[in-house]
Amino acid sequence: MNEQSVPSGIDPKLLEILVCPLTKQALRYDREHQELVSAAAGLAFPIRDGIPIMLVDEARRLDDAASTTRPEGAAQ
Amino acid sequence: MIRTQDVKRSYRRWAPVYDIVFGKLFAHPRREAAEAAARVGGRLLEVGVGTGIALTAYAPSLSIVGIDVSREMLARARLRVASLGLAHVEDLIEMDAQDLAFPDGSFDVVMAQYVVNTVPDPDAALDEFARVLRPGGEIILVNRVGAAAGPRRAVERGLQPIVERLGWRSEFPFERFERWLGRQPSLRLVERRAMPPFGHFALLRFTRIDPS
Repeated sequence: MNEQSVPSGIDPKLLEILVCPLTKQALRYDREHQELVSAAAGLAFPIRDGIPIMLVDEARRLDDAASTTRPEGAAQ
Repeated sequence: MIRTQDVKRSYRRWAPVYDIVFGKLFAHPRREAAEAAARVGGRLLEVGVGTGIALTAYAPSLSIVGIDVSREMLARARLRVASLGLAHVEDLIEMDAQDLAFPDGSFDVVMAQYVVNTVPDPDAALDEFARVLRPGGEIILVNRVGAAAGPRRAVERGLQPIVERLGWRSEFPFERFERWLGRQPSLRLVERRAMPPFGHFALLRFTRIDPS
């Protein structure tokens, strides 16, 4: 009930129901960077305002950590 | 060839007016689909939840997770959930129907209304629906189902310039669903019902048989 009082966090129930959209394996929650990390796919899925973005084309590739560009210039 | 970014772009433009244009037009199929879902019960995945226009039709006893590739459409769905206090909507997540981020057998109902012909690879999306469906659960689709020939076919061709603006694929004959079903030994078609407007749409229900 009071989970919403942590604005930058993510609903722990949500973490339990999500897997990597490519490998279907478990995700690791990176609290500091607000990302869901799929080690197997080499992708980090961003969490914005507590909402995970599970789109592969919006994920950060783990092998070029410096890149912030989006593959197709999607909104925002 | 439809690409996911084209779909995103299309629905970004449609987001402000989608409910006005499609609210009444698709009200009846939405109700029928919601009734079918209520008969199954449990956890429901709404694929292509969009502005959340269908959410109010669902029985409060269902637990609903909605996904969409369009951030703009989801923003409207969130407003709707908050303003109407739709407590049965658990989560709304940006996700691609072709790459679902849920484990196998997560849902009792997988609902996709006007979605299958908008995704770049419909078979991949349908495969994912089957994967996340629990045995005994149902995939419920409301979709434009093309006619092979005859007067309906002529009308469909006339409608094509309109539906193309929604990113909808021109040709989606029922045979495509049948071919897909042939590769899914655990699924059975339980209903195919013509839907208004014009009978160009169909409610399709597939059940996953329990292997035991």
